[in-house]
Amino acid sequence: MHRLTGVLAHALVVAALFALPTSADDDEALKKDLTAVIALHGLPCGKVVAVKVLAESDYNASCEDGNRYHVHLNAEGRVVVEKQK
Amino acid sequence: MRVAHVALFQLLPLLLLAACSRREAVTSDSGPANGAAPPGIRANAAPPVAKAPAAPAASLDLNTLEAQLRETKAIGLFTKITLKNQVDDLLGQFRKYYQGKAKPTMKDLRRSYDLLMMKVLSLLQDEDQRLATAIVSSREAIWRLLANEKTFATLQG
Repeated sequence: MHRLTGVLAHALVVAALFALPTSADDDEALKKDLTAVIALHGLPCGKVVAVKVLAESDYNASCEDGNRYHVHLNAEGRVVVEKQK
Repeated sequence: MRVAHVALFQLLPLLLLAACSRREAVTSDSGPANGAAPPGIRANAAPPVAKAPAAPAASLDLNTLEAQLRETKAIGLFTKITLKNQVDDLLGQFRKYYQGKAKPTMKDLRRSYDLLMMKVLSLLQDEDQRLATAIVSSREAIWRLLANEKTFATLQG
């Protein structure tokens, strides 16, 4: 029993070690993606420094210049960027 | 999200059209497809001198270009959707122009087209140089398709 618990614990630790960098990579990729989207809409931002996921395809992005935007996919399949106050 | 990702690559039609037009150019030319001269040179009617040695495959066929657009990691999903929106908008402007409904002139449309291409290339050039090069080489061919009412109509069908 103790042996099984040990193996499971080891497996969890290994899984966590692999999961953490992937999550960080995804986070950076999302920031980069939203940075490009905001730029494509011609809005000031610089780089996106923080993202809050509101729902699937629905984000609040905070920019390095202090601007904040609500970026989401509307029902027509268009990416909408709205400035937040 | 996955659905959007799949649908996405039925987008960017301009880029895919580039590959189509390139394939036509190669077909109408007697030269071998893989040994084609750089596209910019081909588009400008190269003088009839001895053929240059085969260049590296800067231009892509339709399937390869589609696959590379699908797989490129240089552009994120939301960015690709945004680009698709802007491509659709531009095609809509062309449609209105040919229907006589729109105020923009062909010069305005060319400016919009160039701007959109620059956006795409800006996103690709640092991380997917090869695809960026293929698109650059197809740029004028795409424009010729759009700027001709008859060829544009065939694209809409």
